[in-house]
Amino acid sequence: MLSVFQVVFILFALFAIVSVVNKRRESSLGPKGMLFWILFWVGASIVVMWPESVQIIARRFGIGRGVDFVIYIALVIIFFILFRLHVKFEELKRDLTKVVRDKALDK
Amino acid sequence: MFIAIVPAHNEEKTIGSVVQSLFEHVDSVVVVDDASSDATSREAEHAQAIVLRHEINLGQGAALETGHTYARGMNADYVLHFDADEQFDAADIDPALEKLQAQGADILFGSRFFDKRSNMPWFKRHVLAPLGRIVNLLFGAVQVTDAHNGFRILNKKALDKIRITQNRMAHATEILALTKKYHLNYIEFPVQVTYHEYGQRAVGGFKIVRDLLWGKIVK
Repeated sequence: MLSVFQVVFILFALFAIVSVVNKRRESSLGPKGMLFWILFWVGASIVVMWPESVQIIARRFGIGRGVDFVIYIALVIIFFILFRLHVKFEELKRDLTKVVRDKALDK
Repeated sequence: MFIAIVPAHNEEKTIGSVVQSLFEHVDSVVVVDDASSDATSREAEHAQAIVLRHEINLGQGAALETGHTYARGMNADYVLHFDADEQFDAADIDPALEKLQAQGADILFGSRFFDKRSNMPWFKRHVLAPLGRIVNLLFGAVQVTDAHNGFRILNKKALDKIRITQNRMAHATEILALTKKYHLNYIEFPVQVTYHEYGQRAVGGFKIVRDLLWGKIVK
């Protein structure tokens, strides 16, 4: 019997995969990005459907509970993405500065 | 050639008189209009300044660096940083340049602490300014008494070495750090600062520290 959380999560994951595919169609996401995000949501769904499945991997890493393992991994991924985003943002800022400066000087 | 760089953001009331006061002391005045929404550009042009206009607001550091790029292109011998809000007194320029030349220094930093002319608010003098000095120490800057004073004169060597990447207010610390990094000879010089508004608040200080930290991580 599925719990309410499982139903809601699966529906959300389906919605997320649909929007990933749509973004790919609009070319605002590369093929690698699409693959990563689809695998991510499929993997997350598997974990939500069969929580015991991560238990085995968690033990191997010396972590008692499967849920803890998932949370640790999720945090690591989130912080890494945050870092990447910030670097990207700084690069954008530098590019923007260059464009605005060149235009100001080009008179 | 001695070029004054005046970064300006919405300073239509004061920019005209600031530009006029500068012409007695420098060869050329460059106003970098950082996407003002008022008539700053028009007023500056009316006062015969060369106006470089940012179409998007980038910050004071970015405006100074745009002025630097222009000055390098013009092969300037000296550049002056001067605020657009009538804080500074143009009469300080000639003695400052003389001292820079006499001492063979590469860069001169204006300071409000060398004499009693400036009417600095108490909180700023006794809390914010000392905190600023600690921040500069942590970020590897040369120690000056008045780190966030916008009055500076750079010679050709300093102009070539100092390339500002901190777009917003953290550029003041960045300039001091670059001075140390490139072993530029620096001196301080007393300048008068008249406070019209309070200027930078404590929140601004936190933003500077944040920008500096990110600058260290992302570079």
